[in-house]
Formats: sequence, C-alpha cells, structure tokens
Amino acid sequence: MLKIRDLNVHYGGIHALRGVDIDVEEGQIVSIIGSNGAGKSTLLNAISAVVKTSGGTIEFKGKPIPKSVNKIVGLGISQVPEGRLVFANLSVKDNLLMGAYLRRDKALIKRDLENVYRLFPRLYERIDQMAGTLSGGEQQMLAMGRGLMSDPDIILLDEPSLGLAPLLVKTIFEIIEDIKKMNKTILLVEQNAFKALSIADVGYVLEQGKIIKKGDAKELIADPVIQEAYLGKRKS
Amino acid sequence: MTTFLQQLINGISIGSVYALMAVGYSLVYSIMNFSNFAHGGVIMIGAYLGFFALAIWQLPFPIAFFIAAVGSGILAIVLERIAYNPLRKRNAPFLYFIISAMGASIFLENIVIATIGPNFKTYPQVFQKTPYEIGALAIGRLDVVMFIISAVSLLILLIIIEKTKVGMAIKATAYNFKASSLMGVNTDYIIFIVFGLGGALAGIAGILFGMKYTVYPQIGVITIKAFIAAVFGGLGSLSGAVIGAISLGIIETMTAGYISSQLRDLIAFALLIFILVVRPMGIMGKMNEDKA
Ligand SMILES: Nc1ncnc2c1ncn2[C@@H]1O[C@H](COP(=O)(O)OP(=O)(O)O)[C@@H](O)[C@H]1O
Ligand SMILES: [Mg+2]
Repeated sequence: MLKIRDLNVHYGGIHALRGVDIDVEEGQIVSIIGSNGAGKSTLLNAISAVVKTSGGTIEFKGKPIPKSVNKIVGLGISQVPEGRLVFANLSVKDNLLMGAYLRRDKALIKRDLENVYRLFPRLYERIDQMAGTLSGGEQQMLAMGRGLMSDPDIILLDEPSLGLAPLLVKTIFEIIEDIKKMNKTILLVEQNAFKALSIADVGYVLEQGKIIKKGDAKELIADPVIQEAYLGKRKS
Repeated sequence: MTTFLQQLINGISIGSVYALMAVGYSLVYSIMNFSNFAHGGVIMIGAYLGFFALAIWQLPFPIAFFIAAVGSGILAIVLERIAYNPLRKRNAPFLYFIISAMGASIFLENIVIATIGPNFKTYPQVFQKTPYEIGALAIGRLDVVMFIISAVSLLILLIIIEKTKVGMAIKATAYNFKASSLMGVNTDYIIFIVFGLGGALAGIAGILFGMKYTVYPQIGVITIKAFIAAVFGGLGSLSGAVIGAISLGIIETMTAGYISSQLRDLIAFALLIFILVVRPMGIMGKMNEDKA
C-alpha cells in the first residue's frame, strides 16, 4: 500500500533521513521505533509532503504522492501530528469537522462522527468545549478522532503516547488496535518501543536517519540487541 | 447630559469606522502573525477610489462604495502576492515582512503623490448636511450611514468567519498552518481570502473616512488608530478589535468634547502605551488562544 524507497531528507546541512526503505501492507500496524531525533517525525512529514524530500520515492497505492501537503489527505493518508496540534480555538466538534474538510458526503461524515464518538466517549461529553481546554490525553484522542474523520485508508501516528500518564498510554494503544479493526492501516512512530512493537505486525528500527533493523514485530521484541537498546527500561 | 450623549454618538460612529480598519488588520495579523503596515496604504487607495467614483466619474454612492471595497480587496491580494508571498515561500524572518510592508506602504503613498498629487481632495456631498433631530440631539446623517454600513459589514464578516466552512478553515489556519494543511486546507487560498476580506474592509473604511473628512496621500496614517484599537482589544482577536475601536472612538470624542481636541491623539497614544505596559494581551486577548 505504501512503498518508500531510498528516501532522503535534508534540513539545510542536516541529513535527517538517509536512504530509508519502508513497506506498509494493507491492514497492518507497522511501528517505527527510534529515540529522540532519529528522524521519525521527518519520515511522516515526508509522506505527508510537509517537508521536501531530497531523493528517493514514496508511492501510495502504486502512484507517487503529490508535492503539496493539502493534496495528501484526499488520497486517503491522514497524519496525526506530534504534539497533537488540535485547533485550540475551535470546539471539539469543529476540530472533528475540520478533519472532514475535503469531504462533501454529509451522511457519511455524520456516520464517521458517530464512530469517533463511539471510539472516544470522552470527546462526546465535551463536544462544545474549546479544544484548548482539554487535557493532554483528551487532546490526543481528539487529534486521532480528527485524523479518522477524513475516512483515511492509512493513518500516520506520530508519538501518540508522548507525555501521557501510563494509564492513558494503555488506553491510547488499545484504541490504536480498535482503529485497526475499523479496517484502517496504521503507520505508528514511537519512542515507547515495547508498547509500539507489541501491537504491531511489522517493526522497523530507525537510528540517526537510517533503518538499522526491520522484521516481524514479535521477533524484534525478542531480539537481544533491541531489548538492550530500546526495551531495557521497559517503560510502559 | 446632551453634550455627553452627542459625543457618545459621534464616538460610536467614528469608532465603528476604526473597527472596520482594526478588524481587517487583526484578521491579517491572526493568520500571518505580523503587523501589516501596508493596511494604511490600502485604506488610502480605497478613499481615493471612492473619491474618483463620486467626484470625477460621478457615480451613485452604492457603485462608488462597491468600487472602493472590491478595488481595495484586490489591491490587498496583489500586495500579498508581490510583497509577502515570496518571503513566505522561503520562510524569511519576521522582520523582512515588516520591512516589506513598510516598503509597500511608502510605495503606495508616493505613487499617489506622483500621479494624483499631494493635495487634500474633498468628496462631493453625498448625504444631506441637515442632521436628524431627536430632542436636543443632532445626529449627522453621514454619522448614521457610517455606523450602519460599518455594522453591516462587520456582521457579514462575522457570519463568514463563524458560520461558513471557509471561516472555520481561517480559524484553523490562524491557529496552526501545518495542522490545517494536513486537513486538506489550501493555506494559500485562505491567505488570499483573508487579504481580500481585510482589504475590502479597509476600502470601506477609506470611502467612509474620506466622506467624513477629506482624502490625502497620508490618510493611511490613520491605521495607527486601528493598530491601537487592535492592541487595546487583544491582537488577533476580532471581537477585541471591535470593542477596542469603539472604545477608542468614544475616548477620542470625549476628550475632544470635554478637554481639548488638541489632546485627542495624545490621549489615544498614551492609552496604547499604558495597555502595552499594563495588559499586553489587551482586554479580550488570551494571547494566542483567541485568534481569528
Ligand atoms: N525543521 C527542522 N529544521 C532543521 N532540523 C530539523 C528540523 N526538524 C527536524 N530536524 C532535525 O532532524 C533530525 C530528525 O528530527 P525528527 O524527525 O524530528 O526526529 P524524531 O521525530 O525522531 O524525534 C533531528 O536531528 C532534528 O534536529
Ligand atoms: Mg518526532
């Protein structure tokens, strides 16, 4: 479904991605783990055309992705960005409607809105509240709900557990598995390697802009090198 | 008491024109996060367009009004394309935008001086001078017209921002460009709309101001009043800009009525400095929360 070959991204003199190859098949959860500054957000931003690539190809359903950010979501690729970036000056409902910005099908938008409320009952309780007044966990839920409102085929999640209390982290990962059950493909980037790999089908390890390991997620969890580098503390 | 009411009415009337300026200015600020000092140039061109339409081409007021509003809207869009868009495309530092805006403002002023001349021009009389008399109060017809046109224009803007999809996208983009474009919003289009709306409000303010006073190449300096109003209300907050502008209008006419008209601007600027020092987020501002 998503095929990335020899992807390179530069920020001025910084070579943030160095020849990255990634494949995501339909229906999978693919997790990319890496520490802070590894290039995880850069990867998702390259897919979403937020950053310019300096080499390589990104194909979605067999076609190269367009170069303008605003054309990506219409293809069925939705990004839930790092730090949530919910529209603090809009209500919860309007944030969700912004997620469906390009859609014209009123009836289906309504259906998806109801699905989001079912997935995140806490959002339904706060429907008219300004998004800026939500807690961190609620904002993460809103960002994910907003990301689902475009009815994407693939959803790109950038560190959804960042800065959340352990109990909420657990909830968020359970919801990611629920999203998979809604026939969505998921590309997840995370520092929380254990959690990310335990729900994934396939895992990649990104280090300083390079993929240093790829494999079945269960095998990666069992890999001694990865256990030492990423799972040592077993934060969960 | 009569003087007080009289000044209050005059203040609200002139304040509503300041509100047109301040809201347009604030709207652009909420998206671009910089002070568009070329806004004054657009107001000035609007005032000249109105003058030409009424005095030279002798068109009826509604058509002159339309020309001033649409012409200024187009001018603001063109200015954005030429003066800001190239800077935005290469992520130029904030200061470059300010300098570019000042450049555009000086350019517009000088092109008017070179082609039309530096003199004051007086609009023909469009509305009868005889005021409406209510008891001891005399309310100028033009003041009533100014208030009604301003209020209706602001109401239309409010409906666009609060009730339409493009309005929601304007608010989203004002909050965060990246998140908004990830939703599929073409942010260039949003900027186009915002400059068009801001420019149209500036043009309307220009023709109203020109009718009330006169028109001259430096009339754009009046935007400093819009700036004061916008800061007073909280930069980027549209409701704040309206409240700030009406307050400023009232403070000015009260100063002129009870103290001295010479002190009018002095008090307005003292107020600006006072607000910046005591409450920099303005009366309505929650800093970045309340944008657009
Ligand atoms: N806008 C930017 N300008 C310059 N350097 C950047 C920018 N964004 C990220 N980088 C650099 O690129 C590298 C990868 O960053 P990022 O993709 O954000 O990593 P991660 O998401 O894995 O923490 C880091 O060295 C970071 O400092
Ligand atoms: Mg990141």
